Amino acid sequence: MPLVAAFACPHTPQLLVRPPTEDRALVLRVHEALGTVKRRLSAARPDVIVLIAGDHIEGFFLNAVPALAVYVGARAAGEFGRYRYAFDVHEPVARAIVEQGIEAGFDLAYSQDLPLDYAFYVPLHFAMPAAAVPIVPLYVNVYLPPQPTPRRCHAWGRALRAILDARAERVALIASGGLSHFPGTGRYGAPDFDFDRALLAALAEGRGAETARLTGEELDKAGNVELRTWITLLGAVGDARAEVLCYEPSWHHGNAVVAWPV
Amino acid sequence: MDAHYFFPPAAAFPLNRFLFALKSDAAVRARYATDAEATMRAHGLDDATRAALASFDRERLVGLGAHPYLVFMAQVRLRMENDPGSFEYF
Repeated sequence: MPLVAAFACPHTPQLLVRPPTEDRALVLRVHEALGTVKRRLSAARPDVIVLIAGDHIEGFFLNAVPALAVYVGARAAGEFGRYRYAFDVHEPVARAIVEQGIEAGFDLAYSQDLPLDYAFYVPLHFAMPAAAVPIVPLYVNVYLPPQPTPRRCHAWGRALRAILDARAERVALIASGGLSHFPGTGRYGAPDFDFDRALLAALAEGRGAETARLTGEELDKAGNVELRTWITLLGAVGDARAEVLCYEPSWHHGNAVVAWPV
Repeated sequence: MDAHYFFPPAAAFPLNRFLFALKSDAAVRARYATDAEATMRAHGLDDATRAALASFDRERLVGLGAHPYLVFMAQVRLRMENDPGSFEYF
């Protein structure tokens, strides 16, 4: 069964828990775009949502830093502030991804015991269909160098697509992350919105494969270390032309919600 | 130029472990709120690190090898806990 839906969503915590520093109208516009994702996701009737996100040093710490990992527990649960969340994991698809991914030459780590990062939760909070769909959390290391190269992420996305296409389940794919932001650094208030706009224009023309040629240094410089989750998805969606549902640059974050026809 | 998100120096492991605990563990945040000095000592932090944490000076902490994201999210979680009324929840 080919993919039934593909999206990229931001997960900045200020969308969920808004401090007074954030423009409320902007936050609501991003919510509206995420509402569109929810409607389309519901209409696509997926059996499983495969969600690609970067670990925010929530699940993994410096005891082990996997470049690419798959969560294969029965349930995925976590908390953020006053939010407590838990999702069923689609174990057959999660196992197929880890087993066939390794067979395809990707030395994936897996875990059955990780708190689910808010990077997974925020998109699901706004876009999970009313009848909850089981998930498979896929981790890409974005914050702890050396991170996997864009080339590797793109190749992993292509391999992932082949694994998913061979399944009987209807699969929705969501990348969580980006765009430009620099949390915890001196550049927090100065994201690279020009990079974001050029990227979105290229994706709208179906030129996603070009992201595989970016370097880790370029991503770090542009505040786009999390783009690795998008690049993985771009490996899976190929040259499909992106539809930008919103691009809302705030004082510290390029909030982008994007859909791909699949 | 160094990367914004640089390789965490091994010498800064105790500091990063403490920031991770502060970010991830409500019990550590509660102990820190009650007795910051004792909590930092229990985590094996040296004088310079405890001083930088006392003022939660981002630049000093990062200069000591703290991972910038950990500094950021430890602060976010402390703020959410200390001043929950200033946020709007969706």
